Amino acid sequence: MIRCKATVLLVVAAAALLLWAPQARVEASRPKQESLAIIVNQSNPVNDLSLSELRAVFLGERRHWPNGRRITLVMMEPGQPERDAVLREICKMGESDLRRRLLQGLLTGDILVSPKTLATPVGVRKFVFNVPGAIGYLRPADVDASVKVLRVDGHLPGEAEYQLWIPEQAAP
Amino acid sequence: MSERNQQTAQAGAASFVPRLGTSPGLLSRYSSALLLLLVVILEAAVVQFVIRDVHSANTEVQRMYAWSVLGLRRIGSLQYDAQETRRSTLYALTTDNSNLQVEYADQTREADKRVTEAIAEYLQQAQMPREIEVGNRLRQDWLAYLRVRDEVLASILEGSTKEAVALDLSQGVRLFDRVREDLEETQRLYDEQASQRLANVAALARRSVIRLFGVLFCTVFSVSVFVWVLQRSKMSSTLQLAKMQMDFVASVSHELRTPLAVLCSAADNIADGVVREKEQLTKYSSVIRNQSRQINGLVNQVILFASTQNGKGRYVLRPLEVTEIIESAISSTAELIQRAGFVLEQHITPTLPRVMGDPSALSQCLQNLLINALKYGDPGRWICIRASLGEGRDHRHREIRISVQDRGTGIDRADLPHIFEPFYRCPAAVAGQIHGTGLGLPIAKSLAEAMGGRLSVATEVGVGSVFTLHLPVKEASAELPGLQEGPPARV
Repeated sequence: MIRCKATVLLVVAAAALLLWAPQARVEASRPKQESLAIIVNQSNPVNDLSLSELRAVFLGERRHWPNGRRITLVMMEPGQPERDAVLREICKMGESDLRRRLLQGLLTGDILVSPKTLATPVGVRKFVFNVPGAIGYLRPADVDASVKVLRVDGHLPGEAEYQLWIPEQAAP
Repeated sequence: MSERNQQTAQAGAASFVPRLGTSPGLLSRYSSALLLLLVVILEAAVVQFVIRDVHSANTEVQRMYAWSVLGLRRIGSLQYDAQETRRSTLYALTTDNSNLQVEYADQTREADKRVTEAIAEYLQQAQMPREIEVGNRLRQDWLAYLRVRDEVLASILEGSTKEAVALDLSQGVRLFDRVREDLEETQRLYDEQASQRLANVAALARRSVIRLFGVLFCTVFSVSVFVWVLQRSKMSSTLQLAKMQMDFVASVSHELRTPLAVLCSAADNIADGVVREKEQLTKYSSVIRNQSRQINGLVNQVILFASTQNGKGRYVLRPLEVTEIIESAISSTAELIQRAGFVLEQHITPTLPRVMGDPSALSQCLQNLLINALKYGDPGRWICIRASLGEGRDHRHREIRISVQDRGTGIDRADLPHIFEPFYRCPAAVAGQIHGTGLGLPIAKSLAEAMGGRLSVATEVGVGSVFTLHLPVKEASAELPGLQEGPPARV
């Protein structure tokens, strides 16, 4: 009887170890990263976007918010880690591809306004604060109460399942 | 004396005695000092009033200055910041650099924040209904403009310059003009208030000057009146004194001349051999002796009065039995009383406590009262001396009361305040050719006061008079310190 109980406990412990181990491996293998917050104006009714919706917004495929406001994309200057993260994680393309795509959209009229480019995170934040239809991205440390952080696929920056990250080597 | 007369005597004593000599003398003696004190007090009051008034005016001017400066600065800042809000928004139109546009957006928001705060402050300090109305209108118009400004700013930042310009022209300009009108209205209101305050300050200054002149005039007038009254009082006193001195000289001359004439006549008769017989010579000698004594008595009285007035009288104080004083006075005047045909009664309470005093001074005081009763005791020809123990005026100490009562003519109420004044003679006495110098009662009063006592009088015309000498009882703790029973003291 005692041997039977010990066997059951051993099996349970082994199963728990098997379930935990892959995740631990993933955590261990992922380099230390900083999340990237997607921000909008406080008056924007949208609180949550899926990654695919976010892609549509950033590539100019979606042009208006549900309240009818025109979407204005604001980005940081090329070469910034945050911009690189957006190109990689959201747009799934490089800088030149994006430029070509935007130029093509403007010529065909699919894109009404080209994305605004600002030099600093503070500039991005102030722009989003001033423009009701603006959307941009910032490191969480640069975010304040003047703007609203969107959930991406139901997760906020800093949560384990959040999918937008700036690699450590890219972080300043 | 009847009960009614006793009451009169009490009342008379109570009401009359305090009026004797003290207040007029003090007033007269210290009149200049009192005048100076009054002038100083008046001047101090005027100076205080002027200082307070000037301070009040100065405070009002300072308040107005602070209000003016603050108001001008507030309105100036408000206008500047409102313009700055619009200017920075329009600056954003002049560039397509997003970084620069964000910077201008920052500037316009900072300026509009200052404007909003200034409007709130203006409303908080507004007191007049019109101010509050203008303030509220300004706030509403400003918020309406800010809503449009935000849209314009958003359009500029989005890159929709055309839309921004269109929106600004269609709504922004109009709303900002309304804000500007509100600000101008605020300034007009401020100007009106400033004018009103300036007028108030000017009125306050005018009122201060008028009040100052009024107070100065009142002060000068009061002082002039006071000086005039004082001078008039002094002149009246001087004239009265001069008249009394003249009366005294005349009276003394008369009193001296009569016995001197008798003396001269008697001496002439003896010298001329008109009087030769022994019996006649004896009679003439008696006349000469009596007249000489009369002259001597008169001179002594004048000297005594002078000594009591200049404080040169020296008294040897010792504990005295009341009976001792009374007997001394009676023995000195017994002959006069007897010759005048007066009846003398004595009612002396037995075992009276002793008093502290100079025997000759108290005897002289009582003699003067007895002689006074003899002079004015007709037609009753009755004198009563009473001695009793009573309560002093302070109700704490006991006193001996020695009163001399007569059933004479009494003293007229009009004469009562003057009978203790030196040289004063009642008109009735002068008319009745009753001889006297007007010094008997003043001397008696001075002697009584020198002994620490006082003199009071109660009288009724046609009934008689009662003069009472009040002397403090020599208690264990004597009123005159250091005058214990034993060796006599000199004062």
